[in-house]
Amino acid sequence: MSNILTCRNVTKVFGSKVAVNDVTLDIPRGKIVGLLGPNASGKSTFIKLCNDLLTPTSGEILIDGNRPGIETKKIVSYLPERNYLNDWMKVSDIIGLFRDFYSDFNEEKAYDMLKKLNINPKDKLKTMSKGTKEKVQLILVMSREAQLYMLDEPIGGVDPAARDYILDTILSNYNENATIIISTHLISDIEKILDEVVFIKEGKIVLTKTVDEIREETGKSVDSLFREVFKC
Amino acid sequence: MLAKLMKYEIKGTARIFIPLYLLLLLFALLNRIINPFSLLENSDNFNLQVLFSIISVTVYFILIIGTFVMTLIIMIQRFYKNLLGDEGYLMFTLPVKSWQHIVSKLIISMLWTILSFITAICSILILVNVDNLSEVLSLFISKFTDIFGTAGFFTLPYYALIALISNILMIYGAIALGHTFSKHKLMASFGMYCILYVIYQVVMLLFILLFGKKNITSIVTSAAPSVLQINTLILELSIPLIIILVANFILTNTILRKKLNLE
Amino acid sequence: MPWELKSDRPIYSQLIEQIELRICSGVYPLGSKLPSVRDLAQEAAVNPNTMQRALSKLEEDGLLYSNRTSGRFVTEDVNMINQVKNKLAKEHVQIFLKKMTELGFDYEEILSIITTLAEEMKK
Repeated sequence: MSNILTCRNVTKVFGSKVAVNDVTLDIPRGKIVGLLGPNASGKSTFIKLCNDLLTPTSGEILIDGNRPGIETKKIVSYLPERNYLNDWMKVSDIIGLFRDFYSDFNEEKAYDMLKKLNINPKDKLKTMSKGTKEKVQLILVMSREAQLYMLDEPIGGVDPAARDYILDTILSNYNENATIIISTHLISDIEKILDEVVFIKEGKIVLTKTVDEIREETGKSVDSLFREVFKC
Repeated sequence: MLAKLMKYEIKGTARIFIPLYLLLLLFALLNRIINPFSLLENSDNFNLQVLFSIISVTVYFILIIGTFVMTLIIMIQRFYKNLLGDEGYLMFTLPVKSWQHIVSKLIISMLWTILSFITAICSILILVNVDNLSEVLSLFISKFTDIFGTAGFFTLPYYALIALISNILMIYGAIALGHTFSKHKLMASFGMYCILYVIYQVVMLLFILLFGKKNITSIVTSAAPSVLQINTLILELSIPLIIILVANFILTNTILRKKLNLE
Repeated sequence: MPWELKSDRPIYSQLIEQIELRICSGVYPLGSKLPSVRDLAQEAAVNPNTMQRALSKLEEDGLLYSNRTSGRFVTEDVNMINQVKNKLAKEHVQIFLKKMTELGFDYEEILSIITTLAEEMKK
């Protein structure tokens, strides 16, 4: 089975700043991969490049053999750091939108998850707290039966209980034909659910290993190693 | 996909326009019933009724102007906020081509512009008690066909439509260009609009000087320009508009495809 | 029984230990059917692939066996389980003895401490 994501010498330059620097990466299917790095290390930029929200300055990105575009958008489910929901909509409206545009959207699953979190689908998004809106976004993204999930800081601004719920949701949605890429700087919470980690520093990949390889070789958790590698 | 985009575009905007239109029509009706103009004419002293009439007329005028201002604001806001703001993260990850985003917003903006226009006219018709409406209408039609002929019923709306599309796309183009600036995007958009407008004027002028001179001079110098001459002129003048329209479309689409940079 | 996974040791080996523990202590009784890999991974909050590898290793070792259609089961071989029990016991005792000798106790003292405490725990 070919890799779901292939990057060859991908570089993105903004003016004088090199945000992503010559990244070459292969990610197979059925893995949960952590893209780890401090703020402004290029993680979000890289993910945006994969989602056709930015165009690479040079290099190539292939998702399931296609360049980022309509075909890849059909199979990639992206959770951005931002809140992207239109305020005036009700939860049921945005679910309708996802159902209309994405053929792999599982509406039943979405309503199921909303129920479990006590979120009323008839509520207007603008009346919800930030945390609840983030949960709604996560539910929308995870209700798609995509081949590649890209989650940008899914547990960033959320309380510990919600973090556990999010990680649990990620695990329960896992299937061996899909890959989940999680970018975060909160490592200790998620390292156990990761297959592999990719450390990214100033736009460059500095390490690619499995979690157990790191623990075996260094006798440390990934979180500890991260603190060492990225010491200020 | 285009139809779906338009559906959500309407959903996102109808909640502002429908109440506005209803309010406008309501106030037109209110003013017709109260008949403030005759009241103002006939009363000598300033009393509550007069005050009420003045307020109700003022509100009506504010509403009518407001309707058009709102149409413009919403047109800009939909493009700026929904595509280039945070909502852009949702929009541009939908499996949809960027030109479909532009076209869906263009069509719905056109829809609201035309509807605003129609509602305004209806409100005026409600407000002003026009006796013998059919007489006035047939008078208007005969005067119209004298100058423009029956062809005028096609060429003028066609020109108006092209002008509308061209102007909307110019606004989109300006917003898209403003987006490429790293700071002060909104101000940059205004600036870009001014520049685009100047270019638009230059293109129109150049076109008229190069191709339209003959037709215009013959119309101006003749005592009674023929229907054919007038309509040909209208069609000719639509050509530079089409050029600008296409240019702005390509500009906007290219920026959205290649130069997108959501914060 | 909560899953105790330390952060500085490979998850894979810890999962093997934790499952062995559950088998020995009867959380997963003899011959019983194990939950699916997905469910186990969710319970333990670990990566399903890692859980899968741990389970495969235990299959290799004979503690588990799988039936292609009905899933994974704990072995019915009591001897095997006793072997694992003894192995784990040995490991725990070795660690304990090491710590106690570090503290300076000799074997007689250790034995008497154990006997006294065991009596107290019975009450």
